[in-house]
Amino acid sequence: MRFLSLLLALAPAAGVFGLWPQPRSLETGSTALKLASDFDIHVSVQHPPSDLSDAVSRTKSFLQNDKLGRLVVGRGSSDSSALKTAKSLKTLQLSLSKGATVRSITEESRLALGTRSEEYILDIPADGSTATLTANSTLGLLRGLTTFSQLFYEWSGQIYTVEAPISITDAPAYPWRGLMLDTSRNFFPVADIMRTLDAMSLVKMSQFHWHVTDSQSFPLVIPGFTELANAGAYDPSMVYSPSDVQDIVDYAGARGIDVMVEIDTPGHTAIIGAAHPEYVACAEASPWTTFANEPPAGQLRLASATVANFTAKMFTAVAKMFPSTVLSTGGDELNTECYAQDSETQADLTSTGRTLEQALSVFTQTTHGALKAAGKTPAVWEEMVLDHNVTLSNETVVLVWISSMNAAAVAEKNFRLVHAPSDYFYLDCGAGEWIGDDVANSWCDPFKTWQKAYTFDPQANISASQAHLVLGGEQALWTEQSGPENLDPIVWPRAAASAEVFWTGPGGNGSEALPRLHDVAFRMRQRGVKAIQLQPMWCALRPGQCNLDS
Amino acid sequence: MKLLALVSLFAAVYSPVAALWPQPRTINTGNNTLRLAPNFQIIVSGHGVPSDVQAAVGRTQSYLAKDKLARLVVGRGASDAKSFAQAKTLSKLTVSLEKGAAWKPITSEAQKAPADRDEAYHLTVPADGSAATLTANSTLGLLRGLTTFGQLWYAYDGTTYAIETPVTIEDSPAYPYRGFMLDTARNFFPVADIKRTLDAMSWVKLNQFHWHVVDSQSFPLEIPGFTDLAAKGAYSSSQVYSPSDVQDIVAYAGARGIDVMVEIDTPGHTAIIAEAHPDFVACPGATPWGTYANEPPAGQLRLANSTVTNYIADLFTAASELFPSTLFSTGGDELNTACYDIDEPTQAALNATGSTLEQALDQFTQVTHKALEVKGKTPAVWEEMVLVHNVTISKESPVLVWISSENVKAVAEKGFKIIHAASDYFYLDCGHGAWVGDFPTGNSWCDPFKSWQLSYSFNPTANLTTDEAALILGGQHLLWAEQSGPENLDDTIWPRAASSAELFWTGPGGNISTALPRLHDVSYRFRTRGVKTISLQPEWCALRPGACDLTA
Repeated sequence: MRFLSLLLALAPAAGVFGLWPQPRSLETGSTALKLASDFDIHVSVQHPPSDLSDAVSRTKSFLQNDKLGRLVVGRGSSDSSALKTAKSLKTLQLSLSKGATVRSITEESRLALGTRSEEYILDIPADGSTATLTANSTLGLLRGLTTFSQLFYEWSGQIYTVEAPISITDAPAYPWRGLMLDTSRNFFPVADIMRTLDAMSLVKMSQFHWHVTDSQSFPLVIPGFTELANAGAYDPSMVYSPSDVQDIVDYAGARGIDVMVEIDTPGHTAIIGAAHPEYVACAEASPWTTFANEPPAGQLRLASATVANFTAKMFTAVAKMFPSTVLSTGGDELNTECYAQDSETQADLTSTGRTLEQALSVFTQTTHGALKAAGKTPAVWEEMVLDHNVTLSNETVVLVWISSMNAAAVAEKNFRLVHAPSDYFYLDCGAGEWIGDDVANSWCDPFKTWQKAYTFDPQANISASQAHLVLGGEQALWTEQSGPENLDPIVWPRAAASAEVFWTGPGGNGSEALPRLHDVAFRMRQRGVKAIQLQPMWCALRPGQCNLDS
Repeated sequence: MKLLALVSLFAAVYSPVAALWPQPRTINTGNNTLRLAPNFQIIVSGHGVPSDVQAAVGRTQSYLAKDKLARLVVGRGASDAKSFAQAKTLSKLTVSLEKGAAWKPITSEAQKAPADRDEAYHLTVPADGSAATLTANSTLGLLRGLTTFGQLWYAYDGTTYAIETPVTIEDSPAYPYRGFMLDTARNFFPVADIKRTLDAMSWVKLNQFHWHVVDSQSFPLEIPGFTDLAAKGAYSSSQVYSPSDVQDIVAYAGARGIDVMVEIDTPGHTAIIAEAHPDFVACPGATPWGTYANEPPAGQLRLANSTVTNYIADLFTAASELFPSTLFSTGGDELNTACYDIDEPTQAALNATGSTLEQALDQFTQVTHKALEVKGKTPAVWEEMVLVHNVTISKESPVLVWISSENVKAVAEKGFKIIHAASDYFYLDCGHGAWVGDFPTGNSWCDPFKSWQLSYSFNPTANLTTDEAALILGGQHLLWAEQSGPENLDDTIWPRAASSAELFWTGPGGNISTALPRLHDVSYRFRTRGVKTISLQPEWCALRPGACDLTA
């Protein structure tokens, strides 16, 4: 069954330029079909949840306002004659499959990984009779609506497709299709995050990984722990209040996106020293290169029971702000020299008779225990299973970042994993060294192009028996050199590359993909997301003519 | 005198005038806080003050009121507030020309030939509240001084203030050509984006906008008498620069002390001319493009054809009337010979005249350059026209060195004036991957990314003799727009392009560590004025000068 749909997915040389990610199975015709001026979307779901009604309204608004001209020379002028005789589509009918439980999109998108239902079937006849969208969940209906809105172009006041009839049966290859944003190195207002969630939703991403705090700033206002943001935010205006978080989480949920927050510990925590100097070892120690991977140095005194309990309670409080089943405790880039020179940590280790590794394990069990008590599944960076000897539940989700080569080792240890490798998915690479007096390249040079990300193979070197451990993947934006000013251009449309890899599955043809990627980038611009130009517009209007070998 | 100025420069950069970019050639500062009076006024003394000077004063007043930039220190100025009570108040800046200097519009001063521009100024801001004074020999110098004045001020809790008064500045640029190039052919940029870019350029005292307006992909320039080129070659009817758009841009630039050098790249980079005149173009759309061009689509003017040559000469004549600058670039890069080898009309024309391709190129160049010279223009060309081809070029022609900074010496040895535009230092598009379709292992041809630190470390006179060094007019950053559009214009350019602005104003040899806080500062100020500069570092670093250096 899965094999069959993959075969179909490889067929689409056909040329539905509009769709990204490419549906798993797709059949199209070559008949023009107009949207009737009184076109409407009917929801035949008993007591439709309000976020489904909102999704229907957004879809109608996109259909009216996208006004995207087809990406061909003339931008659709050559479609004029076909439009004269085209039938008009009056209705799209939405329904859930028999026996499906009616839940909100938000609830469905927050279900545990592996239990989400995103599949849908979309049929658009060419004769103007009613189009139908069916799914097993409201989340599946949302995905189908998203596909529907990508099918239509505008020319001379007409909204139309030239490829009716269209028949799509679709479902994602992987449940985790994510984007990570670091809001600590530089701050991003709520509106920027919401716009990013809209763009994610357009390419059917399901997971926003919010790296909300780090050593540089602590913008998250946590009830009971407000001193952290008070002392650690860049500015009182540069914080995420509990109501901001709720807005973001709700906005994401209504768009089919779950929010996994990350409070990176025990490293990457220098800024906690602004409120609790006694909790942090080697705070702002110099030279920073000895004590941290980037300035400022400073890590939680993980061997202190007080600090471990403080962190556990903080996680309990954070868990209440985020309805996701997954919460990341970080765990990357722990610097041992910082602890070696910290007399308090050395005293704690001596008094408890523990090694640093043992203390780290105790710290992790304490903080993860708090999360489990709150009903959360912890997520960690790869070092926690590859570098450290720490006791972790096998439910733990492991994010591979240092290198794609490390994914197999994580799978070998039988952990579920999310691909976030710097060598494919780091959006910040290739923009030069940001350390002040250094004329050098970025540590993860070169720039990771969409083409490179698109070639990623999620199952490379992973055995068939471990294949099920791969939850999916995400592109990541670390923001040492980013802010609201370049958020859209640095993320889009590049991050759409992994959205398709993890929805449609790997092995897509880059030459076939490029016209569709242009299309979704142009559509993003119509919706106010400043996606960059991948090529001169001359190329965007002439598929295939600007390839290396054309 | 110059040595003295440099000594005082290095002394000054360690003092905390974080605000100024480019750093003035000589500056003396104190450590008193000075507040700006709510009724602060800029008084221009003199008769017949040109309207663009008045407008510059108005813009400066507006920046002082609206920048509201908080100082880049922890607390963002909270620690300065205690000095406000004792601080004197400045209520007046007096602006005047030196004795004997005549009031001429900034625009006409800016549009002079590079060597004739006078941008020097003298600015004094006393600490005691007495009037500040700005004097210069030209209105262009006054504009530069106003720009400096506008960078001295911060805001905290409703107070606008400077912290390092008294300030005395004697300033003038090291090089007369400090530019920025934008390609509007690979992707189109609306007039508003160009104007915003001109504003930003003027804030760092850049004085030359090099407008690479057309190329093989699109022809957005509407030239009177030649409107078929844009009618058929623009991406759409809304993606054109009309003569009034050009006039608008040129006037906007001029008022901001910026001259506009247009480039109509010939005889290569002209495939799109075939949309209107298929008979003028050799190998249009020929495949594989890799054989016939450096990027798709292939297509070059039939340079051996006298009809084409005369057409281009007439086109240059018409285009030159749109642009008041003394400079006009005819391009001349990346000529592909295989394109002409397979083009029968070109081969026939060469046979008929008994010319080689190089001789035909020489003839083409002489005719087209002559048309410009008749209009009082100095043609500018890319380096190949003097290094690769055997073409007669006037020694007045500035040569833009782009392929490599290594080629500067060879151009200088031939005695040509030079504009630095080297891809290995100044290309803003490098490092973003290959854009030619499905090429996952491909980096950009000019990888890696050129960081501000790299361009800042450029030496304009490396390997040159004193005589050769005198040929250097200045230099520029460049944005080729294969992977850029209005969406990422600001963040691709700024604040990186400011690094060459300082290099060519203040002179080379600046220290990266002491430059960085000032670059942060000007970058934050850009943002308050609506230009989306990128963050160079985490804000934690921006607020703690030096703390994020490699050796900190």
